[in-house]
Amino acid sequence: MTMVGYALELAQAALALLLAPGLVGLVRWLKARLQNRRGAPVWQPYWELAKLFQKEVVVSSNASWLFRVAPFVVFASTVAVTFLVPILAVPLPFDGVGDLLVVVYLLLLGTFFLSLAGLDPGSPFGGMGASREMTVAALAEPTVALAIFALALSAGSTNLGQIVARTMADPAAAVSPGHLLAFGALFIVTLAETGRLPIDNPATHLELTMIHEAMILEYSGRYLALIEWAAALKLLIFFSLLGNLFVPWGVSVVLTPAALAVAVVSLLAKLVVLAGVVAVLETRIAKLRLFRVPELLSVSFVLALLAVTSSFLLR
Amino acid sequence: MTLADFLVTILLGAYPIGVAAALGARGALGRGLVAGCGLAGALAGLGLGAVCLGTGIVPTVSTSLLPLTGFALRVDGLSAFFLIVVGVVGAAATVYGFGYSAAYEGRYSLRLLGAMLNVLLLSLSVQVMADNALTFLMAWEAMSLSAYAMVLTEHDRPGTVRAAHWYIAVTHAGFAALLAMFLLLSAGDLTTSFAGMRSASLTSGTRDAVFALALLGFGTKAGIAPLHVWLPMAHPVAPSHVSALMSGVVIKMGVYGLLRVTIDLLVGGPPWWGGLVLGVGTVSALLGVLYALMEHDLKRLLAYHSVENIGIIFIGIGAGLMFQSFGLPTLAALGIVAGMYHTINHACFKGLLFLGAGSVLHAVGTRNMEEMGGLIKRMPRTACFFLLGACAISGLPPLNGFASEWLVFQALLGGSAIPQPEVAVVMPIAVAMLALTSGLAAACFVKAFGITFLAIPRSLRAEQAHEVPWSMQAGMATLAVACVALGLAPFAVVPLLASSLAGLPGVAPPAMEFTLALPLQVPGASGQMSPLLLASGLVLLLALVPFALRILGADRRLRVGDTWGCGRIGQTPRMEYTATAFAEPLRRVFAELYRPTRDLSIDFHPDSKYFVQSIEYRSEIHPWIERVLYDWPLQGLHRAALWVRRLQGGSLHLYLFYLTLAFLILLAAARWWR
Amino acid sequence: MDSVFSQLCVLGSSLVLLFGLILLWRRGVSAYISAFAWQSIVLSGVTVVVAYFGNDHELYWVAACLLLLKGLVIPRLLRRMARRFAAERELEPYVNTATSLVVSGLLVLFGYAITRPLVALSQLPTRAGMPLAMGLILVSLFVVISRKKALTQVVGFLMLENGLALLAVLGTYGIPLIVELGVFLDVLMGFLVMQIFIYQIHETFESIDVEQLNRLRH
Repeated sequence: MTMVGYALELAQAALALLLAPGLVGLVRWLKARLQNRRGAPVWQPYWELAKLFQKEVVVSSNASWLFRVAPFVVFASTVAVTFLVPILAVPLPFDGVGDLLVVVYLLLLGTFFLSLAGLDPGSPFGGMGASREMTVAALAEPTVALAIFALALSAGSTNLGQIVARTMADPAAAVSPGHLLAFGALFIVTLAETGRLPIDNPATHLELTMIHEAMILEYSGRYLALIEWAAALKLLIFFSLLGNLFVPWGVSVVLTPAALAVAVVSLLAKLVVLAGVVAVLETRIAKLRLFRVPELLSVSFVLALLAVTSSFLLR
Repeated sequence: MTLADFLVTILLGAYPIGVAAALGARGALGRGLVAGCGLAGALAGLGLGAVCLGTGIVPTVSTSLLPLTGFALRVDGLSAFFLIVVGVVGAAATVYGFGYSAAYEGRYSLRLLGAMLNVLLLSLSVQVMADNALTFLMAWEAMSLSAYAMVLTEHDRPGTVRAAHWYIAVTHAGFAALLAMFLLLSAGDLTTSFAGMRSASLTSGTRDAVFALALLGFGTKAGIAPLHVWLPMAHPVAPSHVSALMSGVVIKMGVYGLLRVTIDLLVGGPPWWGGLVLGVGTVSALLGVLYALMEHDLKRLLAYHSVENIGIIFIGIGAGLMFQSFGLPTLAALGIVAGMYHTINHACFKGLLFLGAGSVLHAVGTRNMEEMGGLIKRMPRTACFFLLGACAISGLPPLNGFASEWLVFQALLGGSAIPQPEVAVVMPIAVAMLALTSGLAAACFVKAFGITFLAIPRSLRAEQAHEVPWSMQAGMATLAVACVALGLAPFAVVPLLASSLAGLPGVAPPAMEFTLALPLQVPGASGQMSPLLLASGLVLLLALVPFALRILGADRRLRVGDTWGCGRIGQTPRMEYTATAFAEPLRRVFAELYRPTRDLSIDFHPDSKYFVQSIEYRSEIHPWIERVLYDWPLQGLHRAALWVRRLQGGSLHLYLFYLTLAFLILLAAARWWR
Repeated sequence: MDSVFSQLCVLGSSLVLLFGLILLWRRGVSAYISAFAWQSIVLSGVTVVVAYFGNDHELYWVAACLLLLKGLVIPRLLRRMARRFAAERELEPYVNTATSLVVSGLLVLFGYAITRPLVALSQLPTRAGMPLAMGLILVSLFVVISRKKALTQVVGFLMLENGLALLAVLGTYGIPLIVELGVFLDVLMGFLVMQIFIYQIHETFESIDVEQLNRLRH
């Protein structure tokens, strides 16, 4: 574990933190353009974060210390995940610290505390958001686990670096039915976990249609900034996972400046492509009723199950 | 006298002293002596287990004193591990019980409670050390009866007597199965040592019968579906430290028995054994968590979660058994170690949660979550401990629940090594069900912790709650520390567990040395992780972020105001989310399973149907397993009993006539029948 | 010598049995109690005879206990109870007097049939009395099941104990002293318990007709 390795990890995390708000801004801008609007510029979320950091925090008198600690827990767990996910290079020095299962459960840790923070002020909207969020998170779990199983089967390990390396070594595996089905399943899970249409509308003003927004309704100032940043970071993490696990070319295997530059460019390209796909989807599809969401998640579950069985049979 | 012998003496001696103290001394002295003796015994057991696992010695005890001839004890690796489980939870529960049972002074029999507590701990310790069927069965009976007596402590509350009846009936049905099983294993002589049973050669039909009886008997004690119906009845009504012991340790005796019989005495079997255990585990896990979600009685919610976690343990053990039957010893060891790791983890965090629920019950006076709230400000330390337990049971890193679930996942992921694909496909299904279970458990504990502790109190009693005495806090703190330690150090725990399996002939655990290598690398697992580094990283980030914000010049003002609630004025407890409301989306999703009944009655104004005077809505969920599998045979039994009742004329003379008639017949038979 | 011994024993056993039959013939409770007292005295006499001829000194103690307990103490307690309950008479038993006596005769015959192997096997001079003791046991059982008043049933139970003691004395020259003492204690305890029961029955039903207990059902 060399100094270069540590520097790589830090650079990766810093890059992720920097790019995340921009990614959200990109999706919004693309949606606006598709809806024939001008839209705010792509770097609008940066200004919003800066503004939030300058504002005073108002905390409910009913809330407890959990309300004040939760944003930090969410942010810390999401940033911790950026250290474990191969964004720029493999093998990651921290590969032994956590594998794909650890990543999934770290994100669940953030969701857990955010839901608790939604219940803390005692407002019914917070409770509603928390209840819906945990429902969606719980129902998305089996899909994620099966997708991990499918990937780990072909790679022989649940460690992310190994999965990426294996796919890079064997390009034919990338278009195997197992991989494609797992990609589809994970894409639906991405939409669910990051709160995008058709599961949740990140731009809605109507409380009864909110999931994520309803949980954070009582937050303001720097706390809200941290939570919004963590949400954007989660979007970036999921996009990097989708990109780098299934289409790993571009991820550098040697730590030379040229390879890293290629890695950054390919990452940006993948992010832009995925942002475009999501923007198109969000423009075309309406939000599902909450009680239709389990149907969608069961579709993703079936895709993941098919992914696993095909991996089994085509070994 | 070696250290091990010394510890055995203390272990076997402290508890009877505790019984005597309970029956003799009164008041705080009595409670203190009971707790002290229980603590001494538990710590002795813990020490003995640690010494045996660490040094590999196998102490044996046998005696020929008159009432105890035929008793034989032997502490091998598996026994040592379970002694540690008993010791950890026992120590915490006895300390907690000192403060908790003060509330029973004058209302219920503290002497019976204290005496039975020590009897329970003694019988648990003797049972895991038992070396022949006689000792095992006697200790099993003593355990069941003492637990039954303690379940009945609060006998005037509604539901307690019924719960105790179910408990004793199901546990004795299990005992009958176990008796039959041991008679088969030992060919009739119950004092055959386990070594003798191991070397006996049985036909494969007998082995299958033994396995089925073992699963039945130990399953009733462990609480797997569909034999679990007594668990959500009995665990809530017992005193809370007893609930912690029952959920944390007593149901693990079912796990111990199953492990002892299948991998030790039977030395493995055909794949359908492992498949059955795996299937039963999966069903229990899902059923347990789904019914837990719908509960608003805090302790019954925790009891259903015990069913779920036993299911997870059985998933690990079932996977291990399947690998063993296919001749994959490393993976078999991985599965069994994963199951055992989850055993001790569940004992710790479930014990912690029950002690926390007991503290809440002690402070608020009710188990109903819908009447709680705002306790985090009134009982801050209890809330912290409960939050830790909730995070642990939801499987959040870096705590112990995550470590063992990770290990179970790794064991299941090894299923690709099984040569027959149609058999191997059960593994991914189990993976999916396990993931669903852990997600639902997280949802359930957001509900449990959130509704109980957060927001505003929903009743007067919750408003007046106060923190619990130091002994109860000490009990909870012990288990909390254990949870954290077990979670951060799997690299230390897993080699110990592997070494506990070393003596058993059926599995070949890899010789994992106790290294301080931080990542957990288990042979057979397809990944690695290091919770210690993870935890340090998280703590570092948690500290760095505020620091960074301060440097970057973020605004530091904070003002306390009303809840915004989208501009609504005023916040009353009635506006808060309730537990039932929280679980409602999941209730709808799984409505086919729950089949809730719905009762809606609307009173209209007599003059017009457009004006409503009152609406009454009632919806209940009755577990359908009870309805289908239990009510129907029980009704048949009841009808048969009514028919037999006709013999009961109510006349004393009739009964005396029966007696005399029987006597005469007996005499005649003795005289004339050859 | 032996023939005197066995004749005395047979005489004593017959007397004991006859006193038992009084329970089936007379109607008044005081008659029953007197019969029981005399029966116990005769029984202790038989025990003394066996002790003398059989050279077993422990039996002297047994006889003394019998006399004291069953000859004096228990009849006194019984009379006290009878006084308290206004000496109800056994007016309508389940089986009337004539039939009862016939049945008791049949039971004594049955007792003879049952104990024939015992008599054939035994070498003791006392063996001739054993069928009579068995007969007493069976007759006492019959009394218990066919009589309605609780006091009668208690006396029947005590006579059953007498029959068993007689059987033990005749069959094996008594049972070990410690067991004998235990049996005495049991009888005393049983008697006290039955006393309490009878008081309770009287409290609840204002009579000691045991058939009233049927009303407790449901």
